[in-house]
Amino acid sequence: MRRSLVLVAIVVLMVSACTSGATPSPSASTGAPPSTAASESAAASSGAAFDPSAISGTATLSGWQSSDAENKALQDTVTAFAAAYPNVKVDYKVITGDYPTVMATNFASKNVPDVFYVDASFGQPWADQGFLQPLDDYIANQGFDTSTFFPGYLTPFKGSDGKTYGLPKDGNTIGMAYNTADVPTAPKTLDELVTAATALKGKSGLKAPMCLNPGLDRGLAFLYAQGGSIVSDDGKTNMVDTPETKTAVQWYLDLFKNGLGMTAADMGDDWCGTSLGKKHAAITFEGGWLDPAMTSTYPDVKYAWGQMPTGTSGSPVTISYTAAYAIGADSKNKDQAWVVLQYLVGKDGMTKWTSGGVALPSRSDVPTPTGKDVLVAQAQFAKPGSGFMKGYSDVQKAFQDAFTKEIQDKTYSADKVIAATKAAVDAALAS
Amino acid sequence: MAIASARDPRASTGIGLRSEALAGYAFVAIPMVLFFVLNIGSILYALFISVFQWNIRSGAGPFIGIQNYQNVFKDPIFIRAIQNSLYYAVVWVPLTMAVGLFLAVLVNQKLRGRTFFRAAFYFPAIASSAAVTVLWIFLAAPDGLFNGIRGALGLNPIFQLFGYGPNQNWIGDSHTALNSVILLNAWTTSGTFMLFYLASLQTIPGEIYEAAAIDGAGSWQMFWRITFPLLKPGHYFVATVAVIGALQLFDQARIAGGTTGDPANALMTVVLYLYNLAFFKFDFDRAAAVGLILFVIIFTITLIQRRLFGSAPSW
Repeated sequence: MRRSLVLVAIVVLMVSACTSGATPSPSASTGAPPSTAASESAAASSGAAFDPSAISGTATLSGWQSSDAENKALQDTVTAFAAAYPNVKVDYKVITGDYPTVMATNFASKNVPDVFYVDASFGQPWADQGFLQPLDDYIANQGFDTSTFFPGYLTPFKGSDGKTYGLPKDGNTIGMAYNTADVPTAPKTLDELVTAATALKGKSGLKAPMCLNPGLDRGLAFLYAQGGSIVSDDGKTNMVDTPETKTAVQWYLDLFKNGLGMTAADMGDDWCGTSLGKKHAAITFEGGWLDPAMTSTYPDVKYAWGQMPTGTSGSPVTISYTAAYAIGADSKNKDQAWVVLQYLVGKDGMTKWTSGGVALPSRSDVPTPTGKDVLVAQAQFAKPGSGFMKGYSDVQKAFQDAFTKEIQDKTYSADKVIAATKAAVDAALAS
Repeated sequence: MAIASARDPRASTGIGLRSEALAGYAFVAIPMVLFFVLNIGSILYALFISVFQWNIRSGAGPFIGIQNYQNVFKDPIFIRAIQNSLYYAVVWVPLTMAVGLFLAVLVNQKLRGRTFFRAAFYFPAIASSAAVTVLWIFLAAPDGLFNGIRGALGLNPIFQLFGYGPNQNWIGDSHTALNSVILLNAWTTSGTFMLFYLASLQTIPGEIYEAAAIDGAGSWQMFWRITFPLLKPGHYFVATVAVIGALQLFDQARIAGGTTGDPANALMTVVLYLYNLAFFKFDFDRAAAVGLILFVIIFTITLIQRRLFGSAPSW
């Protein structure tokens, strides 16, 4: 009897502990995004002009790190920042492990870095969850010019409320990388691409003329090239079930059907960069990250960059990927954070950051690093490859699952891919 | 213990009993507090989260009752994850138990170098599961060792009968991905199950075998009539551990198929689905609901197993 009483008491205590710790706050219980107004800094919200050189203090800076070269480039940029703004100290802490997972625990504990990387695919969800500080007041009060950013790089960091939650730290566009020994001149149109690939078919050593991605990660560029799309420009109408999109998907599937393209996995490679390096494929579609992989692992393979071939839409188009710097909604040093952020995404900071060729600039007024002309020039017309609609990761997954199944079942029909993607877009738009 | 305390003069006094009991409670207090806070506490907290609209930064939003549970069951990917996890359990558990038992019986014989074999069979279990999975991905790749060996041995026509070409991508193809992971885990875990069975085998008295031998039983009969039935407690323990582990499959699926359970959801498991909801969609309330659903499934299956195999041995 006494034992069961003790047990009941423990359970009651625990439940009450849980509930009292998580009492709904007034703002949260209305279902509205949590307000950040209370923690907003005086300098940003007062409407007075913001002078970054008048601010002093410390700001923590965090992000993932993909290579030693990236670490060095960032350290050099931080050193240059210290010279430009001696009153603000930057405390750089790299986040190791799975970035979104680690950041989720940081957001939950309200212990966030002041300035941190936000991948384009997380821009809108993190903004809508209230994790990020809107930057519009800082931008307005300082008169920070955002017009020099390539437009495709800015879109993913707009929240559903239309506010800006991050500024792109750099960017990359998807271009055509081709082995110059196999492909002497870059195809300019999709028709020329098919002709070039057909001529290479069956060439000894090649598993397929092209290494292709079985999803929207690269396929979206081909959809756009032929006038197809996923959603309307305002992000409200489902555009999957249109003749243009369907034709484009069927065209992309036919590349696999006719043996002109193969996935990296089917060639036994981890990604298309390896396929190009091992000469399993002669043409592939990647971004600037291909270059360090090729020069370090396959220095003997001669390849060049070509602009994404144009399709039936007639105008040049490709997709781009980016990441931004953002300020945590729970940051305790927002003014200092903004000083760091505006330098890193500003002309001087970005010139320093991209000069080593680790990343490509997201601004048009920053010099193009050597050898990256094609990829940087494409940013003028590139559309975002992620983060342009709510719930896009589910759409990507639905497309890729259905597309992969068509390839593996050798049925190559666009109908099921269109149906699955359309349903996913409907669900995403309704959520 | 009872005899010992009856002889103990302190046992006749109430003080002795009480201090002994207090010492006992003190010893179990620390693990019990941890158990209540970390296990029972987190389950109750998950239950609490799952009935609210939850934001990890601001906490509970409006109360939504069982809506998260309803939404989860409406998601075809969750249904696929349940199917995958159940299929994995149904195929992997008997397969691994059978291999484990076979190895245990083998190394229980008086063989030359049996210590070496015991260690060798157990070896995959101590290697890191991430490293072994990466190794497996290379072995099962289109131009990997497995395809190379079957080609060299001239086995390709047999595989062709089942529709597998010479360059079959075992982990990248949605038709074979889950079975490849099942084989991988059967290999890595059978050593552990062998160890469990070996311990159980040692408890079977040798006299029973001697008596059976006198009655003229052969080794095959002895295995099926004596060893197998008398291993019932061992079967129960191994099956329970195996089913719980199977339904919680995560790391190998995550490494071989990424967070999205590629190819085409073939490697989407319930725990991977939960992980995606929580850490990529920040849908912690729905993730909590999935966790509780998994808890109920595992709890129910374990109770059923207890009913089936859990009674005391019959000898």
